[in-house]
Amino acid sequence: MKYESQRVAWWFFATCMLLFTLQIVYGFIMAFAHAGHDVLHDWIPFHAARATHTNLLVMWLLCGFMGAAYYIVPEESQRELEWPKLAYLQLAALVTVGVTAIIGFHFDWWEGRKFLEIPRPLDYLVVVDVLMFIANIGVTIWKSERKTTTSMVLFFGLLMSALLYLPGMIPTASQTMDSYWRWWVVHLWVEGVWELIMGAILSYLLIKLTGVDREVIEKWLYVIVGLTFLSGILGTGHHYYFIGTPRYWLMIGGVFSALEPLAFLGMAAYAITMAKRGGRAHPNRTALAWTIGCSILSFVGAGFLGFAHTIPQVNLYTHGTLVTAMHGHMAFWGAYAMIVLAVIVHSLPMLTGRRLYDAPSATLAFWASNVGMIAMTLAFAVAGVTQVVLERRVGMEFLAVQREIEVHFWGLIMAASLFTLGIVAFVWNFIRHGRPVGQVEGVRSTLPVRGPAGRDIDALPAPAMRLYEGGE
Amino acid sequence: MLSKSAAKTFFLVGTGLCSVAFLLLTADTLARVPEQTHEENLTPEVRRGKDLWEAHNCMGCHTLLGEGAYYAPELTRVYERRGPEFIRSMLRDPESMYPGQRRMQRYDLSEQEIDDLVAFLRWIGEMDLNGFPPAPVLAASSSAPVARDEHRPPVFDQMCTACHSLGGRGGTVGPALDGVGDRYDAEWIDRWLHDPPAIKQGTAMPRLPLSDVQIRELTTYLSTLRARQDEEEAR
Repeated sequence: MKYESQRVAWWFFATCMLLFTLQIVYGFIMAFAHAGHDVLHDWIPFHAARATHTNLLVMWLLCGFMGAAYYIVPEESQRELEWPKLAYLQLAALVTVGVTAIIGFHFDWWEGRKFLEIPRPLDYLVVVDVLMFIANIGVTIWKSERKTTTSMVLFFGLLMSALLYLPGMIPTASQTMDSYWRWWVVHLWVEGVWELIMGAILSYLLIKLTGVDREVIEKWLYVIVGLTFLSGILGTGHHYYFIGTPRYWLMIGGVFSALEPLAFLGMAAYAITMAKRGGRAHPNRTALAWTIGCSILSFVGAGFLGFAHTIPQVNLYTHGTLVTAMHGHMAFWGAYAMIVLAVIVHSLPMLTGRRLYDAPSATLAFWASNVGMIAMTLAFAVAGVTQVVLERRVGMEFLAVQREIEVHFWGLIMAASLFTLGIVAFVWNFIRHGRPVGQVEGVRSTLPVRGPAGRDIDALPAPAMRLYEGGE
Repeated sequence: MLSKSAAKTFFLVGTGLCSVAFLLLTADTLARVPEQTHEENLTPEVRRGKDLWEAHNCMGCHTLLGEGAYYAPELTRVYERRGPEFIRSMLRDPESMYPGQRRMQRYDLSEQEIDDLVAFLRWIGEMDLNGFPPAPVLAASSSAPVARDEHRPPVFDQMCTACHSLGGRGGTVGPALDGVGDRYDAEWIDRWLHDPPAIKQGTAMPRLPLSDVQIRELTTYLSTLRARQDEEEAR
């Protein structure tokens, strides 16, 4: 850690851990309901669990992005955050709004629009909160001598995310236009500006972890975010096939969403190539594993599975079925959850002064959660494809089909348990690292710094240590 | 090899062009949507229905226009498929229509609110959705007795098929209705349709919101469902 104010990132990451854990709990409630055990129906009905599950996801990812920005921006712009105290205030406000919204969901207080369930009065507070965040980051970069591509792309991504929250508030009496604007928020976030954030964090991590020249990495960052927007903006059309909008969206959405995997393929190729080219053995292998894993699974989940299900001829049948849930789970995990976890794994040792990254539990966290998520995707895939065939092709009644596929939700629950084991290990590692008491660079830590299995950290090879501390 | 500034240009030009194209298409879509979705039929009832739809987060279980959660049936064409009476009784008491099934929240809606929701679902059902939802092309018996039967009252397709099947199509909550005319006579069917629990205590079959005319039509129709006769006809 080079700057005192980077410490604020830890509190954002801690919030992430809490919200993520809660998200998994609600996921289980829904999976059990699908498997025929809707035991919490009277207290947490399905639609409340669903709203909570998805909004917690958005909340913890945004928290993670903000934490990542607070960690990365001081280092990239080589100065302290402009207003560190504002960052704490902003986190507190965000948590308050989020918790209020989630409790509200359980009392029928919501907007009832998929992914944008947060009630309107709280929407305005979210906007104010995000403006505080953007101002803090923006002024820090603005006043700095050094404006790197990575920090600019990150800032631009965060700024656009904030601006694109606004179309979701356009009032309309038509369900069609309601959906139209809603996708401006959701799609343009997930398949647009969030990819900028992801690309920027990826680029930062690759610069730190591989030691490849910044110029090379940042050049490819431009190419990748270029591909993202080239395909992603008009790719919004794949949400406009069947909601009452003109027929030309089938062609436009189809063609451009077919290009969307390119950006993710680029991201995977880029991460793998840079890691190979780097050659320098960075001691935090786990951080590199999460970084590379993120680029690969985002290609599989968002790129490949997204492609497979947004072809208009296929989407006619898969639209609004569990196939969407299949794609959604791996896409969010691969692209956004993993990048947040990667940046946490990378920064935690620096924030806390404890280097516990190659502990067996860290490895377990990586493998159990990834294998678990892949298995979950498969369970959704089998259930989803069965649903499509029986309901949309054979013409069986919805509820009859649901009974046929109940068994696959037991498969899903098994897979989710493995996934949860991984996340528990991850959270355990987070806890083990302790509070952010690590010293700013140059001041030797007063804490007993121990590696896994009691190995003294100073026993690590000196060049590796220098690389780790120095970064580039 | 590509330089950093060339990469930057690619990013800026590509993003700019796509954004402009997207804005132009949006303007065109805004102009065309009113006709495609029959916006002239957006009555105050429909608008209130949409507000109720959102206030209770119906999308948190159902899908509409294929959007929502995947826990409860797709409702885009529900007005056509089930008819207003079925929807009304479902909204009055969700448990009455599918007892012991996947459960829906009970909302204690007023009759006015129920009418608003029905109006909303009706408006949704009339939209031109570019071919969604698709017809089930593999439906085995779509050309079998069920479809070519001219005497079948519309209410049979709206209500009965939600739980019962005929010729392999329909729900699986209640027993199949193939050959039901062999098992029961018209008088019994008539009594049964009037009040199922009075005949068989604890039955899953609810007292359906049927008019006397509809019951008469259904009784006549169900009495003709005879296995033997079907076989003869097939010969």
